[in-house]
Amino acid sequence: MGGKGYIRYLANRDVMDFEIKKIDDWRYLIPKTGAMRVPGLIFSSSELMPNIRGDQSLLQVVNVATLPGIVKHALAMPDIHWGYGFPIGGVAAFSLEDGIISPGGVGYDINCGTRLLTTSLFASEIRPKIKELVSALFRDIPAGVGSRGNIRLSKHEESKVAVKGASWAVQKGFGTEEDLERTEDYGVMKGADPAVVSDRAFKRGHDELGTLGSGNHFLEIQSVEEIYDQKIAGVFNLFEGQLTVLIHSGSRGFGHQICDDFLKEMGTQVRGLGFSLPDRQLACAYIKSGPGKRYLAGMACAANYAWANRQIIMHWTRETFEKALEIAPGDLKMELLYDVCHNIAKLETHVLGGKKVSLCVHRKGATRSLPPGHPDVPQRYREVGQPVLIPGDMGTCSYILAGSQKAMEETFGSTCHGAGRVLSRRQAIKAAKGRAINRELEDRGIFVQSRGRNTLKEEISEAYKDVSLVVEAVHMAGLAKKVAKLRPLGVIKG
Amino acid sequence: MSYFDFFLLKGYIFSTDFNPFVDCKIMESTPVTYRIIDHTADLGIIVKGPDVEHLFVHAAQAMTDLMVRRHVSDNILTRDVSVQGEDFPDLMVKWLGEILYLFEGEGLIVNSIEIKSIGPIQLRATLTLSSLEPERHQILREIKAVTYHQISVNKANDGWEARVIFDI
Repeated sequence: MGGKGYIRYLANRDVMDFEIKKIDDWRYLIPKTGAMRVPGLIFSSSELMPNIRGDQSLLQVVNVATLPGIVKHALAMPDIHWGYGFPIGGVAAFSLEDGIISPGGVGYDINCGTRLLTTSLFASEIRPKIKELVSALFRDIPAGVGSRGNIRLSKHEESKVAVKGASWAVQKGFGTEEDLERTEDYGVMKGADPAVVSDRAFKRGHDELGTLGSGNHFLEIQSVEEIYDQKIAGVFNLFEGQLTVLIHSGSRGFGHQICDDFLKEMGTQVRGLGFSLPDRQLACAYIKSGPGKRYLAGMACAANYAWANRQIIMHWTRETFEKALEIAPGDLKMELLYDVCHNIAKLETHVLGGKKVSLCVHRKGATRSLPPGHPDVPQRYREVGQPVLIPGDMGTCSYILAGSQKAMEETFGSTCHGAGRVLSRRQAIKAAKGRAINRELEDRGIFVQSRGRNTLKEEISEAYKDVSLVVEAVHMAGLAKKVAKLRPLGVIKG
Repeated sequence: MSYFDFFLLKGYIFSTDFNPFVDCKIMESTPVTYRIIDHTADLGIIVKGPDVEHLFVHAAQAMTDLMVRRHVSDNILTRDVSVQGEDFPDLMVKWLGEILYLFEGEGLIVNSIEIKSIGPIQLRATLTLSSLEPERHQILREIKAVTYHQISVNKANDGWEARVIFDI
């Protein structure tokens, strides 16, 4: 055991103390105390811990550990930061027998996630055209606050999206069947039931399919800067200098409203369940209960909307590239490497105490990380493990990793999801005051176009943790294996 | 009767100036005091009001100010809303959720609010709304949801105070 830490928080007007013990260089334990049903386990490093201690995210880990049916540990990834209710970068698994499911443990942006496209081109080939390309993408892909898409859905058609997910988009001509094989769960979550979704959610979602949204969502043109594992990179069809595209978006207003509706419903009902919540945002229901099952069915609708959304955005990206670069699809070979979600709750089988058990795994700002040989990894990647996509901020870099067995053993097959914020948006705007962020980025070879007045300021690199430190921590802890590093060349943001 | 007079007759009118980091005034003698609070991933407000009615009106105003730069519009409609909650904090989340839905789901911006009745479990109000016109209204920020995280609505010495965190 290494050094100990001690944290004192003021929570709900009560002072709350808990201890943090360093297990090794990459793991920290919060021993079970008070109402905690399991200990907390934080994956981090000596460089990242001071920031984590600086906000209330560890208190949120402690709060999650008090929820009924939680098994093994309340987990936090190195990109953990203060969320609402559950921390962002948190993972928690619950028994199906006596455990809960919580909309706050998934987040408002249900199935927010990323997908990465590879090409046959070297980034150097398109560098002279980067501005033109970014402008074309900015024109063709709706982004920004209140952005409305080019697709209008009737409630009947939106229900189909909610049930079929990415395959709805493929059937409508957005992409190919092969894309589905390269999407987590083939781009569809089973059990979706549009009957549990409110009219409000349908209304919010009817014109937002095929839109990026705002905030930290983006579409980024990148080059593969460094390969760490040649064998896995070969299987992932990656090479140094390669042109890639990373898309980050979610379920838009449709998902936000579904989360909101169920939080309100469960918030009212939770008082009758016989346990108290340290934070109202942790509102939940037993998985086996009516509200629990209905939330799962509604959440699946939103997850499917998000997969259709990213599939459509990807299709338009391909079309824009082909047009802007005047290149045939066969020559561009813009193929989906993988699509992975990082805000979700899933019923999965894991080994606990030597026995296979079914659990409900919440990943809020955490990415699935399945090991080599796992049956849910697409056949083409099964030998090396599931591709894990970790976006950084627009000014630094992103990473591709591969899933690991250690993640199955320690984190229910989960790893980090990104850099994680360290500055609030207001602090970021202050830090960016008087600076021309787009010019700063251009000087570093990154051409950015954004819709919102303050987007670039809110999203400056200083607002985020160093994604390289986050990735190093999961790599060293064995939660995923580093495969390649990607450098941004062009970004569109909302 | 000008639209301006119309607003004044209706009760409260919101400022058309947006500056999130200073206190705002409404077109009445009552000062609207809210300030932005920092939250790493999200954004919050602390709102004050001399009584609970003003508190709820000011909270709606603060949230609208965060989302859009308002302009007096020709396109006016009124709507009665009724919101139920378990207590004042729950009522606040549901009330602001209603304002958010009108904006996000129906493209309607709240111009003025007349509270008909308010108690810990129910709020009834008549809203004056204008349609979002992209060429006239500058959208400032997407609010995904009004959260229960650290929600508080309390009677303070000099009135009422609420704390609300938004997911953005």
